Amino acid sequence: MGNLIWHEYTRLISITANICEWIISPPNESPSNNATDAVWAAFFGLFYRKFFWDFVGGTLRDPGGLQPSPNAALFVTLIVKAPIIQIISMILGFIILAIELPLPAVKQFSVYRSLVVRVVLLLFQTFFSILFYQGTNAAIWSLIAAMCYGRAIMLGETMTEAKKNRGRGGEA
Amino acid sequence: MGESWIQREFLAPRRLVFNVLFYGAHFALFAYGWYSQATNLKLAGLNSLKFSVWISRGAGLVLAFDGGLILIPMLRNVIRVVRPRLTWLFPADENIWFHRQVAYSMAFWAMVHTTAHYVNFINVERTQIRKERALDIHYTQPGGITGHFMLLIMLLMYTTAHNKIRKQCFEAFWYTHHLAFFFMLGLYTHATGCFVRDQADPDYISTFPFYSTKHCLGYLSWRFTIWPGIIYFGERVWREIRARRATRLSKVLVHPSGAMELRIVKPSFKYTAGQWLFIQIPELSRFQWHPFTITSAPEDPYVSIHIRQVGDFTHALGSRLGVGPSVVAAMTSAAMKGAEKDDKTGTRGDFVELDPAITSITLPQVRIDGPYGAPAEDVFSSEVAILVGAGIGVTPFASILKHIWYRQKKGKLGSLRRVEFFWVCRDAPSFGWFQSLLQEVEAAQADPNFLRINIYLTQKIGEDMLWNIAVNDAGADYDPLTLLRSRTLFGRPDWKTIYSTMRQAIESGQYLPGSTSQLKTKVATYFCGPGVIAKALKEACVENSNSSVEFSFAKEHF
Repeated sequence: MGNLIWHEYTRLISITANICEWIISPPNESPSNNATDAVWAAFFGLFYRKFFWDFVGGTLRDPGGLQPSPNAALFVTLIVKAPIIQIISMILGFIILAIELPLPAVKQFSVYRSLVVRVVLLLFQTFFSILFYQGTNAAIWSLIAAMCYGRAIMLGETMTEAKKNRGRGGEA
Repeated sequence: MGESWIQREFLAPRRLVFNVLFYGAHFALFAYGWYSQATNLKLAGLNSLKFSVWISRGAGLVLAFDGGLILIPMLRNVIRVVRPRLTWLFPADENIWFHRQVAYSMAFWAMVHTTAHYVNFINVERTQIRKERALDIHYTQPGGITGHFMLLIMLLMYTTAHNKIRKQCFEAFWYTHHLAFFFMLGLYTHATGCFVRDQADPDYISTFPFYSTKHCLGYLSWRFTIWPGIIYFGERVWREIRARRATRLSKVLVHPSGAMELRIVKPSFKYTAGQWLFIQIPELSRFQWHPFTITSAPEDPYVSIHIRQVGDFTHALGSRLGVGPSVVAAMTSAAMKGAEKDDKTGTRGDFVELDPAITSITLPQVRIDGPYGAPAEDVFSSEVAILVGAGIGVTPFASILKHIWYRQKKGKLGSLRRVEFFWVCRDAPSFGWFQSLLQEVEAAQADPNFLRINIYLTQKIGEDMLWNIAVNDAGADYDPLTLLRSRTLFGRPDWKTIYSTMRQAIESGQYLPGSTSQLKTKVATYFCGPGVIAKALKEACVENSNSSVEFSFAKEHF
């Protein structure tokens, strides 16, 4: 019983996953203002740069911390030496947010109503954010969101074009 | 749009007090957590992590506070007992609202706390003040594991609890919210890893709570926050026990308008007028409890609820009872046309009783849980009660009006002198069952001034209907639409005018003879319905209150 519209629900997860941590939804207002993980994680990833998978073959030194294995040199370059991955993840996060919240300018394009585009973007987000230390939760949550959108597509849900000229709630 | 968001959320006096106390307490705790960590000489090792550890400890204390608060507004039975004594202190009926505020705050501080810990752990790994990797702390120690799990649970709970999703699919919200059980377990065990300690290795012991408080210097907040959890768990168990007590569905009446009236006999169920209950019909769904307003008076030998078939649960119930949507649709449209009116007597057609003794239908088993509070219980403590129901929000007043009627018969009205009943609705005929109830109550009135019924019909009226009313109304004893003696009014009520007229009438002594000897006349408004009308009513109440007449306002929530 009950009829969950998956893409409307997933939107909330996706927003949360991409801002990096949290949600403040004013009661009785349109759903929005969910903050998120990917952007926030990537922001901190700029300052505390660490390759998440560096424990694979890495050595722990005291002092000095965990030294990644030489095989991970590529990731060390992209994450620690220069925060490329973090920046990509952050930009991707902003793009997803622009679609999900949505940014007024994005609303007019048909891409805004495509669920497939969202799945693709979220999977990319999962891939990038799993690479750096702060991004694990963003990755897991983005994956959940991608799967839920997948479910929405399987159920044949579509987003309809917004109606124009909608009135505002008045007073009694 | 009236007042702005800032005005409404921050500057309204009661909100302001709440904000200062609530957020003030949060910041004070944060500051204390920070200070107690930063100045603790035993924790000098941890303090080498500087700001991040101070922030995480401060936010941790705040989160413990929120974790203790979050369940308190959900202790429904405790609130029901406590609220009559505490209405002056806090709006106990706003419990869900408070629950949400705590949740928002929790989300924010969880962000602060988690972020600070991400910084902590990376620095622990770099400086090796403890010989471990960030990965170990995140995913192998109790604090990290429970923390990540709680975040995931929060993601699922918050997103499904969103207004829109909750309305769309209540089940998704309801079932997901039971993850709270695991969330609370995570919360209580979050600090068992002896994370805050004055030595390099955790000091575990073999007896409960499995760490030594000599070297583990956390807040030990679970000792406090676990109590609301235990009470809540106990309450759920108690609700289950109570729901299992003997309950019998004795009758189902189907009213001409299609509403089903369930009459349930449960001797152990005690309630007052205006309260509501949860009903479960195991045949339809084993776990779902649905809230309904009680429509019988406490004096009645049964508990009744009226159910309109609007959602999937109520449709399923209708089909189960053999009055599926198609039957009801036919009945409703007949009611809308007024076809059920019997010309000879001038009253409407009677209800159809589904009696298992006569028909082949068996009645399903039901379980009820409750009753739960609503402000309208307090009707008898004021001189004048204004009852305003809008649309389906009229249901609690069925019980209240019946109850008032019973009390009137016994002559035990308390200080209540007059009742004004307003019913604002779009299409009155679809609430046929309520009209028949109103009819009984109206017919039983000995004092014509005690109860006044005002019905406002807000739908647009077509020309046919207009003429129909004009022809039938003139000179008739009963209103053609509602068959009540009170006339139906058309359009939306102008609350400010109604209230100021009433205030003037009270002040001049016309309204309540002899009331001038009193210091102050109390006029209590009870409303059930949509928010916009609530706001208009509240404004009218505030505007017209003065030294001789006090208008109060209470809104019921669903």
